[in-house]
Amino acid sequence: MKLCTNCGVELEESLKQCPLCGKNPDDKEQDKPETMNYPSDIINLHKKEIRRHIWELSGIIAFSGMAVCTIVDLVIGEGVKWSLFADASIISAWAFLTFILLSFRKSWLMISGFAVTILLMLLMFDLISGKSSWFIPVGLPVTLSAFLAVSLSLIMNQFARFKGFNILAIIFVSIAGFCILTEIIIDKYIYGHIDVKWSLIAAVSILPISLVLLFVHYRMKKGNKLDSYFHI
Amino acid sequence: MEGKGIKTKTFQERGWLKLDNCAKLFPAITSEELTSVFRLTAYMKEPVTYSFLKEAVEITAGRFPYFSVSLGNGLFWHFLDYNERPPRIMVEEDIPCTAFALKRKNELLYRVLVKSNRISVEFIHILTDGAGAFEYFKSLLYTYLRLSGYQISSSEGIIVPESSFSEEEVADGYNKFFRKLPPPEKLARAWHLPFSLNKKPRLKVIRAEMKAEDLLKVARNNKVSVTEYIVSVYLFSLQKIYLEEKEKGHIQKGHVLRTEVPVNMRNKLPIKTMRNFSLFILPEVDMRLGIYTFEEIVRLVHLFIQAKSDIKQIARFLSSNVSHEKQLIIRILPLFIKRMVISAVYRGLGSKRFSGIITNLGTVKLPDEMQELIESLEIVPPPPNSKVKVSCAIVSFNDKLRISFCNITQSNELERNILKHLSDSGVHIKILNNNQMNVS
Repeated sequence: MKLCTNCGVELEESLKQCPLCGKNPDDKEQDKPETMNYPSDIINLHKKEIRRHIWELSGIIAFSGMAVCTIVDLVIGEGVKWSLFADASIISAWAFLTFILLSFRKSWLMISGFAVTILLMLLMFDLISGKSSWFIPVGLPVTLSAFLAVSLSLIMNQFARFKGFNILAIIFVSIAGFCILTEIIIDKYIYGHIDVKWSLIAAVSILPISLVLLFVHYRMKKGNKLDSYFHI
Repeated sequence: MEGKGIKTKTFQERGWLKLDNCAKLFPAITSEELTSVFRLTAYMKEPVTYSFLKEAVEITAGRFPYFSVSLGNGLFWHFLDYNERPPRIMVEEDIPCTAFALKRKNELLYRVLVKSNRISVEFIHILTDGAGAFEYFKSLLYTYLRLSGYQISSSEGIIVPESSFSEEEVADGYNKFFRKLPPPEKLARAWHLPFSLNKKPRLKVIRAEMKAEDLLKVARNNKVSVTEYIVSVYLFSLQKIYLEEKEKGHIQKGHVLRTEVPVNMRNKLPIKTMRNFSLFILPEVDMRLGIYTFEEIVRLVHLFIQAKSDIKQIARFLSSNVSHEKQLIIRILPLFIKRMVISAVYRGLGSKRFSGIITNLGTVKLPDEMQELIESLEIVPPPPNSKVKVSCAIVSFNDKLRISFCNITQSNELERNILKHLSDSGVHIKILNNNQMNVS
């Protein structure tokens, strides 16, 4: 009698693998079956299918929108002008949606995808406007600062043992850092020298809130989870 | 199929079916946790042979074509779309009653599960109720055992695959027997168990086995049926938790302890439908009137069930339920609005009517040769909603009565109270291992 060690069902002698789980009943070393056939697999497969359908439909809508903008610009205006901005915006929006749908539960892939999309969008705007002056000194560093701030929050979220108000505190600190970096970059671009003012005020306003949150988390409500605290 | 020279199309020729009155509720309220799926399991004495099971599933699907349907979306109502496929055969999972991908194209609403010596079927309530599903299951087991080489000389009480199906099996019993009656009395809000919910996935199942004869003896000593006795134990156990909560000073919403007990209407009305045809009686004790002894609860439940299981009384629920769907204003509402309304009404009213659910499928009789090849039968009820929190189902076979509790909370106090009470009454209880699916 040939038995599948995974499903426990009896198999005909001629069967090389279990039709239910894909496991070779003669291979004792093979711990994990190649394919699974559980009811919950269908639900997961269906969720993937839904995401793919949304992506395909949004692609059709996006490219139709681009075609309409370009043709209207060509017919009404004198050549392709404003439609280039519209097309760049539509492509960027579709790229955002693509990363949201494809990087389901993979936060690093999503954040990196967002950063690349924003950079490309800004570069396109800079090139389309014809003067090509602000992307390198402003667009690129501000985007990277934002990426840095989000990454910091993400790393802390991944490594924190208890996730609660401490994550909120880190997010506030990241925002304070981002404000300071943004003001430095803008000052350097507009005035040629650095004179940090509003971002410092924002930072000193935010930091005490972070300290209070850290105090509440580590001294009073250790282990309180954000989702349970804020659930509606 | 012929009448006055006009040929009525069979449902296969039409290619679709309307949802019955009960089924109309489920697409709107079903989620990954509240799956509305129940499971029937047969524990065979030998390991299951896949090739015979596959063949048996294909043959049986041909006899029950009205189950080979997927859920379709119309402009005004959902419908069941016939697609002529056999159900999936899958590996049994640790968590039973997993959701169906209802919106997936051509996805059937039942499946066959197998592991080791167990054959299970899982049905979503859109398709049928426990009694309808058991007819299919008995036929599947009969076919499987015959293909496995066993001689089953009698097929009494079994729909054999060689027989042809009648259109009566797809009839909507609710609409067939509908007539306008005064609505049932309004019910006071029921009390609910106060326990915190588990993290997702929430469902935990506790299963226990006892001798059917022992329980019958205890019920007879109390001069009631097994269902009436179990309902009484259930209400008495609820009362214990209610009083403990009151003692702790916790604020209680609702003061009536009420259980929902499904009634198989096929036993009361002349119809052989395989689709949903159950209604409910709702035995209760009102805690505003004082504390009850167990004997008082037994007497109250007995009188209640005797009075309310009368067909004229139950027909009032049927009339009330069906009259809603017959109203023109409701019929012309687009489906997406209907879904929102049904979902809101269910959350607002439906689950507030009762504190718990007990389904008793009764004693399953199979031909002697089959009884010898099957160790036991079991039913796992659909996961309860977040108000009711615990559901319970019972089936008796080969003098073994199996009771299953579906619980989505962090406490199993209710099950403990019920099983302890039964044990104290002299019924030997064996708690079954839920991890027996891990085959060594």
